[in-house]
Amino acid sequence: MHIPDGYLSPATVATSYAVMIPLWAYGFRKLKSFLDEKTIPLLGSLSALSFLVMMFNIPVPGGTSGHAIGTALLAILFGPWVAFIAVSFVLLIQALVFGDGGISTWAVNAFDMAFIAAFAGYYAYNALKEKTKYAPFVAGWFSINVAALSDAVVLGIQPWLFSDATGKPLYFPFGPEVTIPAMMTAHLLIFGVIEGVFTQIVYTYLKKREVQT
Amino acid sequence: MNVKKIWPIVVVMLACVPLGLLTDAEAWGEWDVHYYAEKLGFIPEGMKHFRSTLHPLLPDYSAPGTGSVTGYYISAVVGVVLIYFLWMMIGKILAKK
Repeated sequence: MHIPDGYLSPATVATSYAVMIPLWAYGFRKLKSFLDEKTIPLLGSLSALSFLVMMFNIPVPGGTSGHAIGTALLAILFGPWVAFIAVSFVLLIQALVFGDGGISTWAVNAFDMAFIAAFAGYYAYNALKEKTKYAPFVAGWFSINVAALSDAVVLGIQPWLFSDATGKPLYFPFGPEVTIPAMMTAHLLIFGVIEGVFTQIVYTYLKKREVQT
Repeated sequence: MNVKKIWPIVVVMLACVPLGLLTDAEAWGEWDVHYYAEKLGFIPEGMKHFRSTLHPLLPDYSAPGTGSVTGYYISAVVGVVLIYFLWMMIGKILAKK
């Protein structure tokens, strides 16, 4: 889901930054009131965990691979705005230091994997937490799938909107009829389950220890 | 929630991180430009010129001059440390205000 530089048209990039800058500013304001000497190390270590979980590439049939993102866990623990800012930072470091995801595409990637994933995970968890102890699993599964759908749509509209006079795509070349089934099959069946299991295990572990201490 | 309970998970994940190298398949929609040359017979114009301009320090989680497992470990440690210290800095800056 880490869209590289050059995959999206300048118009898409400009739009995404225009949308994301106010969201980041608002999220940062929300974050301020949340930070204290107890929450800062928690956020630091759980953001590091999100970074690490993204390094576990898992192959899927069809010759590609993917990984969990860890956003839902952060959203359940700290709320969606804080999770959104935290994963945005992780994505920025991935782009700048490791070349994983582009710099021009940072806003789109943050919209998918940080913003959308955080709010989807947060609301799914809250809708289910009274009903089942597996609410973190469902939240994780739902979170990454909504993010994947958003990613597939942004990629898929590129050839529709940006092709040259002969119909040759200028940026990402495959339309939504290709991107949506490809992304969603892998995420609904595999990466969503991995995200769900990760969210459930870490959440349960942290909550159990909390009661004991 | 106690941060001391999170570090053991970070350490275990860090130790296991080379498992992420078991596949060298690229993520769907994150292919290198060669993929498009092969698949479409051309590289879309917009993708071409963007590629050569950026030089990340640890490209694709590898450290130049080291093996893939070592490079992956170095990348994981660098990432964890950078992210943690970024938060410490944000805490310091916002606490002053």
